[in-house]
Amino acid sequence: MRRGRQRRGVLPAALVAAALLAALPASRAGAFPVGGRDTVLPAGSELDEDALDRPREVFRAEAMGGAKSYLVRLGDMAFSAPSLLGGMARRAGIACNACHVNGAGNPRLYIPGLSTRPGTFDTTGGVFNPPADNGVLDALTPPSLRGARLLAPYGHDGRFASLRDFVRNVIVDEFAGPEPSPAILDGLVAYIQDIDFLPNPRLAPGGALAAGASASERRGEKLFRKPFPRRPELSCAACHLPSAAFVDHRQHDVGSGGEFKTPTLLNADVNAPYFHDGRYDSYAQVVAHFDRVFALGLAPRERQDLVAYLTAIGDGVRPYERDGVEPRLKEIGEFASLLATAIPAGDREVVALTVATVGGELRELTEAFPDRKDATVVDGRTERATARAALKERVLDLRRIDAAVAAGHLDEAAADYAAWRKLMASTVPEALRAAERWSLFNPDLHDAHYGALRLLSQQADKAAR
Amino acid sequence: MQSFVCAGRLVLGGILLAASLAGARAATIDESVERYRAYIIGNVDEALAGARGLRERIAAKDLAGARRAWIEARVGWERAEVFTGGFVSDLDDKIDGWPNATTGFHAVEAALFVRGTTDGLAPEADKLVLHLTDLDLKVHQMRLSGQGMLDGAARLTYEIGESKADGGESRLSGTSLDDMVNNLAGLEQAYSVIFAAPLATADATLARQAQAQIERLSTLLTVGDLRRVDPDRVRAASEDLVVTLQAAAAALGLRRPTLEMLVQ
Repeated sequence: MRRGRQRRGVLPAALVAAALLAALPASRAGAFPVGGRDTVLPAGSELDEDALDRPREVFRAEAMGGAKSYLVRLGDMAFSAPSLLGGMARRAGIACNACHVNGAGNPRLYIPGLSTRPGTFDTTGGVFNPPADNGVLDALTPPSLRGARLLAPYGHDGRFASLRDFVRNVIVDEFAGPEPSPAILDGLVAYIQDIDFLPNPRLAPGGALAAGASASERRGEKLFRKPFPRRPELSCAACHLPSAAFVDHRQHDVGSGGEFKTPTLLNADVNAPYFHDGRYDSYAQVVAHFDRVFALGLAPRERQDLVAYLTAIGDGVRPYERDGVEPRLKEIGEFASLLATAIPAGDREVVALTVATVGGELRELTEAFPDRKDATVVDGRTERATARAALKERVLDLRRIDAAVAAGHLDEAAADYAAWRKLMASTVPEALRAAERWSLFNPDLHDAHYGALRLLSQQADKAAR
Repeated sequence: MQSFVCAGRLVLGGILLAASLAGARAATIDESVERYRAYIIGNVDEALAGARGLRERIAAKDLAGARRAWIEARVGWERAEVFTGGFVSDLDDKIDGWPNATTGFHAVEAALFVRGTTDGLAPEADKLVLHLTDLDLKVHQMRLSGQGMLDGAARLTYEIGESKADGGESRLSGTSLDDMVNNLAGLEQAYSVIFAAPLATADATLARQAQAQIERLSTLLTVGDLRRVDPDRVRAASEDLVVTLQAAAAALGLRRPTLEMLVQ
């Protein structure tokens, strides 16, 4: 018996509806890939959990030279906690982070019956919360949460003025999760508000193109600000205000089937598919849509110029970063650091959630070091086993800490946590680094392993038919 | 001074007595392991009989019968994992390789349950019978120990806590929940035959705790459908039990079980 999952994110989460924020779910925990008749998620679900390149997360506090607050770290951890959500999402191991991977989106997210195309998800589809089923397949994109603090109102339709209300709605109404505690909700809001846009040196303060822009981009910028020929009160820039993160905080009908709020164009190069329902894969299609609906009469070169401009303002520095031992341990360490505060405070809720989430992350990291039954990897057997053993022991340490806190033995728990941190700073990283070349962070082994799993998934689908 | 010496002797005597009791418990456990050997033999025999039946049904080109035999063979195999996980990892690889198995149970599973054919499977069934026969011999001859059984029990318990949300190991045949249930049955068997009595003597609280945690796991797995398994609770229950088994090691005069076989 053994399982086979690994990787972050599975699905979903969040997606939700929303607009920008959607929601929450997704974590690494989950299952990958999904196929057969025994899976919690519908067969054919794709969460892109195995991606080796993960969206890079930039935090406002850190960008300003500070450190993440306790509240932000609490929200970050809860965002990756499947137990935050209810029912099917929890059973599938899905947390907010599944749909909003590292606070960005998930363009490959696909759940049969809930997605109309990759990168979309129907939060009112009834699978995760049957009473919420509106009987219509109205899938939406789980938006990137970068810069969300600047992007109110929330939800693609902008029906929530408050981010806090929106997040609660996602957890309780869309994913049938238990009512989150005020502290957890505050943490989630603080975390989301701390996710910054990736820096974009091609933009100057105020949202204008920076020096060095190409002639085409400059022409595109002019077009962007130019009044529409038949609706001179309108222009692209009238709603996408360059000085205000390219939004106007209002909803408009742009011929896409209703009123939806103006999405930001910052970092949008990595936010496809576009529009609330993800109908367009490229800027060229988006420009063509507006040209058609608003009778802009754009010449081919003008369309190209607008695309060049959008590409420039939608850029972001290093949008992805490579997964591996170091980023995993960094995240685990940050999540676990909550215990330094929660244990002395006797905060059983936070301790339990942290232990469950960090334990899940450690278990998932363990699976990055294939065990002896996995023929994908032949060498490094001792190193892999040592790495796996070190991680498993740390999972059990956390379980002991949880039990000690539950029993009111806070000093014992604090001492165990201090010992845990020490091991996580020395023995564990050493063991993991020694085995990393034979881990699934090695692209060749990664491809072989996940290739086998994908085949297994397809076979399971076939067997189920 | 005299009283200190007396006290010292008492303490020393106490330590020696404790060490001697622990040694006696370990010896008792090793005797229990011998009794448990009969159970493992039974499990492996069952797996072997199933594999032979599988080979026979394949030879007869009886797909439905071969599928039934495959499932029957898995029962004994999964129950024996306390032993295989603690003692014979090389055979474990050949018999139960995953996810990219070219041989063993899961290679046969793909043919029977996905391709829906018995064609060409005879050599694979022969190999499975061969490896299980080898395992059978080892079970009869190998020197078993309480330490090895505790290691195997802890490893298997931890494994039960791994998420099966993706369909689990035997997703092609749809029997992953059976795997879990049979793992637990093997674990329960090993615990009750080998460890329950000596632990009750050494630390009655830990013994009650272990028993309750095994029952908790059993309840959590009695759901009839893999999709209804609550992964968080199963994981927590499995980890709680491993923690208890680790604590029990000291009380039983054994080393704390390791969660991976580190020395080949």
